[in-house]
Amino acid sequence: MYGILVFSLLFLFSITVIGSLSLGEDLFVIRSFGLAGIYLFGLIIALFTGASLMYKEVELKTIYIILSKPVKDSEVILGKFFGLLASIASIMVLMGLIYLSVVWLNGGGFDSGSILAIILQLFEFSILISILILFSTFSAPIASTIYTIVIVYSGHLLTLMLNYAANTGGFQKYMALGVYYLFPNLEKFNIRNLVVHNSVITQTEFLLTAGYAIIYTSLVLFLAHIIFQKKEF
Amino acid sequence: MRNFSTDKDRSIFSTYYSTEEPNIKVPNGSSVSLRARHCILGQILYNFSMLEIKNISKTYGDQKAVNDLSLSIEKGSVFGFLGPNGAGKTTTIKILTGINSPDEGRVEIDGHSPEISSVREKIGFKPEEPHFYEYLTGLEFMKFAGNLFEQSYKKTDDEYLEIMKSAGIYDARNKIVKNYSKGMRQRLGFAQATINDPEYIFLDEPLEGLDPIGRRELKDMVVRLKSQGKTMFFNSHILSDVEILCDKIGVIHQGKLIYTGSVPEFCRGKNLEDRFVDEIEKINNS
Repeated sequence: MYGILVFSLLFLFSITVIGSLSLGEDLFVIRSFGLAGIYLFGLIIALFTGASLMYKEVELKTIYIILSKPVKDSEVILGKFFGLLASIASIMVLMGLIYLSVVWLNGGGFDSGSILAIILQLFEFSILISILILFSTFSAPIASTIYTIVIVYSGHLLTLMLNYAANTGGFQKYMALGVYYLFPNLEKFNIRNLVVHNSVITQTEFLLTAGYAIIYTSLVLFLAHIIFQKKEF
Repeated sequence: MRNFSTDKDRSIFSTYYSTEEPNIKVPNGSSVSLRARHCILGQILYNFSMLEIKNISKTYGDQKAVNDLSLSIEKGSVFGFLGPNGAGKTTTIKILTGINSPDEGRVEIDGHSPEISSVREKIGFKPEEPHFYEYLTGLEFMKFAGNLFEQSYKKTDDEYLEIMKSAGIYDARNKIVKNYSKGMRQRLGFAQATINDPEYIFLDEPLEGLDPIGRRELKDMVVRLKSQGKTMFFNSHILSDVEILCDKIGVIHQGKLIYTGSVPEFCRGKNLEDRFVDEIEKINNS
């Protein structure tokens, strides 16, 4: 994890060079690459740490010591969730500070739109962390990683899927609608394109998106808790 | 209100506590004050403070790991749970500590299920070959274990160090657990099991991997904890130690309890190891 963090910080420092390669669009390139970099490295760290979170605890039998103490199953799940979320949040704050400094040094001033984009990325990660915890209660880290990558990929294509569903009929339509409502719509959290084009989302849109993340995360954690409760150690 | 298991206790309770009168006449004609009745109730409740295993069964796949096991362990006693590998000892101890649930039957610690998290405030558990977070130091791990309890059980650094000292790992307090030997891990496992000053201590193979000095020290710890009124339940393969330490033993084979009682009663003139092997072979050959 520390290796990825160091690499991500080096990347953020180097985006000035990438920006200077463009023809007069330095800031646009810096913001595009910077926000994408923060998202990508945050995602990699979440995937690698989250996929083994519960699995390692069970596999290495450290769970015996925890569960024999007055700790509820729900506290184990919530502890893991908030622990990883706090780690990812602190990493994103660090990357965000470097990114904002780079933007400011390149004449972009205080980039409040990017802060909003990073906060929404964190909400997206809260959904992904809960999904990783859910998978890691019953599957091996590699399988959890693959499942989550599939969800990340599909989650960003759901709007396209909804359009597809609208243009088709019969079983395919219901299938596409089922996937649309079951999978998290992660594209809601992607305002990077808007930010680099100096557009913003409204406060209502922001609150609705945050609320969606909180509800989806809570439901997935509840499911993880049920599975964890029924698990034999 | 707890359930009374004997008619005698039920009768004492109904005679003495059906009224709040200051003085009552009891069947033998004497007068008993309310205060005296409270003392008697306290004694009854103390006697009820025990570990009860009632007809528990646990099946994994098509194999019955524990089959209709019932035991009653008195408060303040040391109970040794013996059995060959795969007999169901670890499954039983995981059920007793609330880690797993029985498929049938129930466990009661002072009248309540260990699956209730607050009941686990009064138990300590050392798993077989305990595993820890490898990159914490011994002291950090102790603090982590202590933080899993309610505020009232939390200790100061000095108290954690005192527990580590009594478990013989004080010198390794600042070493990361990854570098601990097997014996040191057993000691740390023992230390974390006693962090909350538990009334009930469950030890899964506590003497495994220890050198003779370590075994002696941990045996002394068991004796000391017993003298403090702790109830201990442990699985062990080292029968000579069981013979010395335990007030009572239970022998489990293929998930079924084949004996429970005192060691001399089980041995009937032989040493525990010979008697144990004879019993198991007799069942295997039948």
